[in-house]
Amino acid sequence: MTNALIEVEGLRKRFRTRRGPVEAVAGIDFRVQAGEFVGYAGPNGAGKSTTVKMMSGILLPSGGRVEVCGLVPYRERKRLARRMGVVFGQRTQLWWDLPLEESFELVGHLYRIPAADRRARLRRLEEVLSLGPLLPVPVRSLSLGQRMRAELAAAVLPAPEVLFLDEPTIGLDVEAKAAVRDFLRQLNRDQGTTVILTTHDLDDITRLCSRLMIIDHGRLIYDGTVEALRTAYGTTRVLVVDLAEDEPVELAGAVLARAEGRRRWLEFARDEVSAAELIARLLAGHEVADLTLEEPDIEDIVRRIYRGEAPP
Amino acid sequence: MAEGLGVYLRLAAASVRATARRPAHLAARFLAAALIVTLEVAGVALLLDRFGSIGGWRPAEVVLLFGLGFTAQGLALVFGDTLEADEVSKLVRRGTFDQILTRPASPLGWVVASYVDTRFFGRSLAGAGTVVWAADRAGVAWTAGRAGLAVLAVACAAAIIFGVLLAAAGFTFVTVQGSEAVDVLIYGGQYLASYPMHIYGSALRFLFVWLVPIGLAIYAPALGVLGRQGPPGLPAWLAWLAAPVAAAFLAAGGLAWRAGIRHYVGTGS
Repeated sequence: MTNALIEVEGLRKRFRTRRGPVEAVAGIDFRVQAGEFVGYAGPNGAGKSTTVKMMSGILLPSGGRVEVCGLVPYRERKRLARRMGVVFGQRTQLWWDLPLEESFELVGHLYRIPAADRRARLRRLEEVLSLGPLLPVPVRSLSLGQRMRAELAAAVLPAPEVLFLDEPTIGLDVEAKAAVRDFLRQLNRDQGTTVILTTHDLDDITRLCSRLMIIDHGRLIYDGTVEALRTAYGTTRVLVVDLAEDEPVELAGAVLARAEGRRRWLEFARDEVSAAELIARLLAGHEVADLTLEEPDIEDIVRRIYRGEAPP
Repeated sequence: MAEGLGVYLRLAAASVRATARRPAHLAARFLAAALIVTLEVAGVALLLDRFGSIGGWRPAEVVLLFGLGFTAQGLALVFGDTLEADEVSKLVRRGTFDQILTRPASPLGWVVASYVDTRFFGRSLAGAGTVVWAADRAGVAWTAGRAGLAVLAVACAAAIIFGVLLAAAGFTFVTVQGSEAVDVLIYGGQYLASYPMHIYGSALRFLFVWLVPIGLAIYAPALGVLGRQGPPGLPAWLAWLAAPVAAAFLAAGGLAWRAGIRHYVGTGS
C-alpha cells in the first residue's frame, strides 16, 4: 500500500478501428501524490484524453491497472465521481438555459453538499472568481471567459480531491487566462487539490505545473519537472546584446545567430561556457548598451521532443 | 434510492424550467403536438363514419384505440424521446455522454430526467381527451374496473414503447449511427395498434400482439373497456398478460441499455 492519489501501472488501451487495432495508450506508468499539479501534454492523438478517460471511469482499460483515490475508476465510477471534478474546456457541464445560480444549486444536490457548506463555499468562489454579477445570467449568455470561471466553480464546489482539466484556457483572452490560472494556483496551494491539466498551451504548464508528463504514440516520453526538461534539452541559450556601436562581434564559445542594426543574438551551449564568462569576454572587447539572456523556449523543446529528438 | 430519486426529480424540474423560460415557445410546441393528435383523430373519425364500421367496430370504438395509443406514446416520449437513435448518437458524438459518466448518478436516470420533452405532454393529454370523448360517443359506462383497464392499457403500451426505445439506445452505443428502425416500431406500431387487431392478417397481428406487443397492450384492455369479448384467438382476458409483458419489455430494454453502456465504456468513442 502506498498513499499515491493516482496510480497507473502498465496501463493500455486498444481501440478497434476499420484499419485494425490501434494502441492509443501503450503501457504507461506513473504515480501522482496528493497535492501535485501535473501538466499532461502531447500532440493530438497521442493518448492524452484516453488516459484521462481511463482515470475518470469513462473508459475501461484494455490492460494494466489504474486507481484514483484508492478506487478503480470504471468499477466504482459513481463513488469516484463524488471525489473528483472534471472540466472539459470545450463542453459545458452547466445547465445551458438556466441562470448560473441554478446550476450551482443542482450541483449541490447532486453531490449532496449540505446547504450551509454550499453557501459558504459558493461565497468564497464568487469572490475569487468574481461570479457575483453572473449568478442570475443564463449560462448560454455568458462569454467564454465567464463561462470557464463558472465551470471551474461548479467543478470544485463539491470540494473534489482531484481535478481533471482538459484545455481549460483554450480560446480565452489574456485576462481570462490569467484569472483561470490564478484560481487554479490558489486552489492547489490552499486546498491541496490535486490537479491533472491536459493542455496544448505550454504556457499553462510552465506557469502552473510542478511536474510535466509528455505522452506520444501512447507512451510516456517525459515525466519530470519543467526545469529538468529545460536542462536536459535546452542546452542552447542566447545572449542578446545591444552594442553601443555597429561593429562585428566575435566571441570564443558563442555563435552569431542573428544581427539587426546594433543588436546581436549570440548562441552558446550552457555546458561549455557560462553566461557570466561570456559576458565578461564580451565586455572586454566591446562597449555594450544593454543585454539580456534568453532561456530556451519550452515550446521549442517540446516540439523537438515530439519530433523524436533525443536529449543532447 | 429514495434520496437518489429526488435528484432525478430536480433534474427533470430543471429541464422543464429550462424550456419554460421561453413560455411562448413552450406553449406553441405543446399546442402543436396536441393539435396533430386532434386532427389525426378527427380525420380518422370522419373517414370511419363513411364506412359505418370496421371489423364490426363502430367509429367511436376505433377512435378510443387511437386515443389510448396516443396517450401511451406521448407519455413514453416525454421521458424517452432522447433515447431515440439520433439523439443518443448526438450525445455520444458531442462528448456529452462522457460528461454524464463523470457524474455521481445513473446515466439512464440522468439522460431521461435531463431531457424531458414537455411537447409530448401535449400529445398525451390530447390522447387522453380523445379517450374520454370516444368512450362517451361509444356509450361506455365507466366503472372503476374499466377506468383501471384504460390506465393499464396506457401504462403497459407506454412501458413497451419505452422498453423499445431503451433497447434501441443501447444498440446505438454500439453503432453510434442513428437508425430509423425504431421509429417504424414506435410510430408504425402505435398507428397499427390503433385499429382493432382482428382486422389484420396473421403476420401483422402476430408482430404487434406478440413481438412488439403494443397491439396486445392496447387492444386487449380496450376490449374490456368496451365490454367486448374479443375475437377467437384474441380474448379479452389477454389484458392480464399486458402488465407482465410490458414489465418484461422494460427489463429487456434496461438490459440492452446496460450492455450498450458497457460496450461504450469498453471501446470508447
